[in-house]
Amino acid sequence: MSLDDPVPPPPVRATLDSAGRLVTADPPLLALNAAAGGMIGGTLAVPALARLARLALRLGVPVARTVTVAADGGDDLALSARANPMAGSQRGGVELLLIGWRIGDPWQSRVSRVPRNDDFLRRAAHWVWETDSALQLTRLSARALPPSDFDGTACLGYPLTRFFALAEDDVRAFPILSRLALHQPFNRQPATVRETGQAVLLSAQPRTDAHGAFCGFVGAAFCNDASDRGEAGPASSKRDLDVFTGRIAERLDRTLRVPLAQIIATAETMEAQAYGPLRQDYADYAADIANAGRHLVGLVDDLVDLQTIELPGFTILSRPIDLAEIARRAAGLLRMRAVSARVQIAAPATETVLPALGDARRALQVLVNLIANAVRYSPLDGRVWVRAERAGTQAAIIVGDQGKGIALPDQARIFGKFERVDPREAGGSGLGLYIARALARAMGGDITLDSAPGLGARFVFTLPLDAAAMT
Amino acid sequence: MSIDGRNMDRGTEEGVRVLLARATAGEMRATHRLYAAIGDLFIDDAVRPDDRTRLHLRAVLAQLTGGVEAALRSHAVRSLMARDEVALADRLTLSTTPVFARLNASGLLRDPPLVRELLGRVRQDLVADALPTVAPDDPDIPSLLPRLLHHANPLVGASAAALLAAESRQRGGASAGAPQSSDLPAELHRRLVWWAAAALRMAVADTGDGTLGALDRALAEAAAHGIAMHFEDDRREAVAMRLAVALDPGEDARRRLLVEALSDRRLSLVIALLGQGLGIEYADMREIVLDPGGERLWLALRALDLDRATIARIGLALAEADPQRDIESFADALDDIMATDRDVARRTLAPLRLDREYRAALSAVERGIERSWPSGGMPG
Repeated sequence: MSLDDPVPPPPVRATLDSAGRLVTADPPLLALNAAAGGMIGGTLAVPALARLARLALRLGVPVARTVTVAADGGDDLALSARANPMAGSQRGGVELLLIGWRIGDPWQSRVSRVPRNDDFLRRAAHWVWETDSALQLTRLSARALPPSDFDGTACLGYPLTRFFALAEDDVRAFPILSRLALHQPFNRQPATVRETGQAVLLSAQPRTDAHGAFCGFVGAAFCNDASDRGEAGPASSKRDLDVFTGRIAERLDRTLRVPLAQIIATAETMEAQAYGPLRQDYADYAADIANAGRHLVGLVDDLVDLQTIELPGFTILSRPIDLAEIARRAAGLLRMRAVSARVQIAAPATETVLPALGDARRALQVLVNLIANAVRYSPLDGRVWVRAERAGTQAAIIVGDQGKGIALPDQARIFGKFERVDPREAGGSGLGLYIARALARAMGGDITLDSAPGLGARFVFTLPLDAAAMT
Repeated sequence: MSIDGRNMDRGTEEGVRVLLARATAGEMRATHRLYAAIGDLFIDDAVRPDDRTRLHLRAVLAQLTGGVEAALRSHAVRSLMARDEVALADRLTLSTTPVFARLNASGLLRDPPLVRELLGRVRQDLVADALPTVAPDDPDIPSLLPRLLHHANPLVGASAAALLAAESRQRGGASAGAPQSSDLPAELHRRLVWWAAAALRMAVADTGDGTLGALDRALAEAAAHGIAMHFEDDRREAVAMRLAVALDPGEDARRRLLVEALSDRRLSLVIALLGQGLGIEYADMREIVLDPGGERLWLALRALDLDRATIARIGLALAEADPQRDIESFADALDDIMATDRDVARRTLAPLRLDREYRAALSAVERGIERSWPSGGMPG
């Protein structure tokens, strides 16, 4: 059991005779049985438990299950229940053993949680492994690794430590060993694959049976590329940790993008009623699910960008681009969204050319962000202007809206991390403007804001003018 | 560009032709849809695979054909390049229609032996995953297969290691599109490889004209290579059976092995131990073990003279893992199962020991007779 888990309450016991009549019971079950109209000497009045006991009696073998019983006051009890036919008398009585008796805040058997944790672990892992209760490796598969002759199968059936060499941590201890021995979950424990010397981080969850007894570990190993370059070892574990935290966004990207894409695609299919007619409110729920999914994908995109732009020495290679053309493209991308929000976008005229130095993809990202914000904060039937201008040595795209405007004290704040133009508004990661400005600055430009309450907002995105193209 | 009236007429003619062709195709699609709906509507729920099984089945089928396709492509492209057939190699690389889609459309994948094998495998994995884990009495003693590695009989040790590896491999799930062998019985693998080669040839033929003799040669060589490199003996099913045969347990040992394999969720070993004890092939035994009705399994367990507690444990574990099973009716039937004479049970299962092809032929001939007398039997 994990240290974070609450301590389970003591087991509650009862015995029944061969006809399913209650012979003895601990006070909590006695009270529950009485509330359901039962008594000692009568049939057990809690149907789920009575069924379990009857099944164990008829089969003559122990039956363990997680059962939910309705308790007094409308609270449900989730119990880990085991019915043991009593030894020596195949057709004798049965003993009931109930674990997790706590009303309102049930301590649930971990059985149902393991598959979920397991899925999360597996999703992004390079190796997936399982052990039995004696910590012998019983399953091992390589994921997302280039195919090689080494697949580790020769270590199957042998102790986990034959495959992984467990590294010490900073205080020269082996927390992983104690956690293994105590059957506790562990996370990001440094280790190496013995055969290849590949540095990995190990995570694992204990697997238990229906009665909470330990059956083994389900685990995953993630290649630790920083250590792979020869930086491993106790002295560099602080640095490993930094690299690891720095890679969280990348891991999020890999872990979340695939399942989110599945969620969105399925929800969109349901919304479109592609599998057959659906009641409209269900189709609308599906639309909500798809929207929430797209929001999360946007958040993942932002976090990945955030990680990239915050790397020390982050720069963007600048090339000659036509900023007016990029502004037209950004406006085009948002046309559908604008139509559904009943907002008009006035993009620079087709013949307008604005030569600048920057990265086309990143400039497009910046402008999509600015125009999307403008559309979002525009009133119905409002208008968003996107103008291309030259100002000295700068090329500028000005995005103006007719929204409620931004008060002076807020103007600096909204470029901060996790800030929104209107904090009361749901949606958005609050990273968009922060990332946009960081990108603009990395290209030698900037984003400035000019606004007053009630007068709309004007964002000015500047990049260095491409002087060579002007001559 | 000038607008030429004649061209425009031609364009319109072409447009009309395309529209009519599409309308006809639309009509056919509607008919298809209707018959598919009728087919699906009247399938008895008891025999219709549930959605999870269908989904997994399709995924396994796509993965298998994808693996075979990738292996064929890379081999054939290499040999085309070696023969300086760069244009053909490019066309093969650029033909993107997946073999699965083409084989699916051709109806070839509706092959009963293939689907039977895959259905058995998918059902086995789903049930094995859902089997309740049971913690051992002594957590410090390694589980069954790791212990068997150190068995006095080296054949047992080697087979246990092979089974651990085969299960890891099969359950690990290869990455999509990576070249891989199919893990199918040799005969099915052979068929699938030739089908995939033919589908690839047609995909290339669709990309343009020109002689395809060199492509045919390269694909045929790649297929022959893929068939020759397929080791049927490495399959999980074969390895499990080999382990059971090497163990050759007595009655008491078989009982203990069955219970422990089940607690470890090693369903393949459970199936193999039962098959070995009764002289029944793995695939047949798997069908018996996974049949939600269970009657043939109860007979099989009786034929092996297993005790009541072992039969109850097996029935209970399978019922917990497979929602189609009814534990209550099993509990009701347990006394009758135990009352069944062991020899009667053996005699009832005896036909299953005959060669599968012989049994298939018997059943085909029987069905043939039924078909020629549709009123239900011969006229009196």
